[in-house]
Amino acid sequence: MDPGRAVTVRVDNAHVYYRVYEDPAAGIKQLFSSGRTGRRYQTIRAVRGVSLDLHESETLGLIGSNGSGKSTLLAAMTGLLPLQSGRVLGRSRPSLLGVSAALRSALSGRRNILIGGLALGFTRAEVESRMDEIIDFAGLRAAIDRPLRTYSSGMRARLNFAIATARIPEILLIDEALSVGDEGFRARSAERIDEVRSAAGSVVLVSHNMAEIEASCDRVAWLDAGSLRAVGEPGEVVAAYLASDAAR
Amino acid sequence: MSDPDQQLVDLTQPSPPGVYLAEVWRRRDFALLVPVQDLRAQNMGSALGQLWHLLNPALMVAVYFLIFGVIIDTSRGVDNFLGFLIVGVVWFHLTQRVVQDAAVCIPRNLGLIRSVQFPRILLPAATVNGQTAAFAPALVLALAAVIATGERPSLRWLALIGVLAAQFVFNFGAALLVARIGAAVPDMRQLLPHIFRLLFYASGVIFSVDAFVTSESWRRAFALNPLYDVITCARWCLLGEPVDSWVVAGMLAWGAVLLVVGFVVFWRSDQRLGA
Repeated sequence: MDPGRAVTVRVDNAHVYYRVYEDPAAGIKQLFSSGRTGRRYQTIRAVRGVSLDLHESETLGLIGSNGSGKSTLLAAMTGLLPLQSGRVLGRSRPSLLGVSAALRSALSGRRNILIGGLALGFTRAEVESRMDEIIDFAGLRAAIDRPLRTYSSGMRARLNFAIATARIPEILLIDEALSVGDEGFRARSAERIDEVRSAAGSVVLVSHNMAEIEASCDRVAWLDAGSLRAVGEPGEVVAAYLASDAAR
Repeated sequence: MSDPDQQLVDLTQPSPPGVYLAEVWRRRDFALLVPVQDLRAQNMGSALGQLWHLLNPALMVAVYFLIFGVIIDTSRGVDNFLGFLIVGVVWFHLTQRVVQDAAVCIPRNLGLIRSVQFPRILLPAATVNGQTAAFAPALVLALAAVIATGERPSLRWLALIGVLAAQFVFNFGAALLVARIGAAVPDMRQLLPHIFRLLFYASGVIFSVDAFVTSESWRRAFALNPLYDVITCARWCLLGEPVDSWVVAGMLAWGAVLLVVGFVVFWRSDQRLGA
């Protein structure tokens, strides 16, 4: 890694904790037990003191087992998750790829492109000028005026991907979104992702697909139980992660 | 080489109010168009479809008229009780629907909040816009009904635009405050219907406060209730019912104070709303 390259996002000793209310199995015993009443909660320490710099025109891979805090760290990088302590600094605000949370299943694909585009910060005119391009990219011309709930999960994923990549942010965060749809769409989406990568200033990629991580990342960070285990050359970090994973 | 870190800004801090408002303005289409789409989606599965936006307020007024106009007569001191009742019920429910919907606008959009960055104030703004747009058929219905009960449109009716604007400001301020509280305390949603039931009787929706409350100081106290103020002003516009300056001042003051307080409270917590 070239240390002279400008930093685009700096995560500085970030801690993210969730407070989760427990939902204990209710037995007769608990109902009548004289112990503490009231609701018990548990604090989940999802990210524990992570410090990480992301540089200009760099693709950083984020790996780790399920529940290691990858998605939480990714969300924290947008500044969308309140931190327990630490800071997230950035040149501009990073964006997560994906807009599925904005989509309405009762409405047609066309109306959802409008809603998704507006959620991403387009104006109505900007969405309308990109409408045909998005429909064609998603390959949904025939189904576009049908309600979203009639779509297969692959069709939904294609629509989400097509809307989300209509605008390329300076700093892009991708959480396992690359292998959606059928073969034809996968080829098109891989191409689009490359385009996004080369246009975006920096990219963070969360994936369990180690081949993809090694092929596309300049640097890899391995997250284990909320802490960074290793950061460095993709080959080395992936090998270390796989060795530790196999040993468990 | 100059320090490359100089350009970095703290992403967990809220942007200054001016920058925040500029971003809200740039993204105004979201708050204007998404609620309209949602209104469409609401009745899409039903047999009568979009007609329900008109049928709902009509049925509501019919039920109130049956109870308070026919069964229990509370029409004392009012010439045109049906018009009086319609204006009260319709205007009260506009605010009620805005505020109750605002209480859940953050929890309902948690997925969106956690995955897409935008000024969160767009969510309560979309709620206010959506419920106000849904109010349009009820407004038309109320105007038609008032004419049907014998009122004639006059220049006074133009003042209704001002009343609606003042109520919009008030609703928006209340929505911001309630959205913030509802995000922190989801129990708010359970409490609000009871608060509104209380307000319903304290706002003279179904009876004339002037006719039922004899004490002058108690009548003054009603002017502290913003909903009473709005309804009374709307009745003055459409029915020529009496209004005094306290009531108008109350309506304007509540709107201004709630808008400013609501904005500041909401803006300060904007970044923490995803938790």
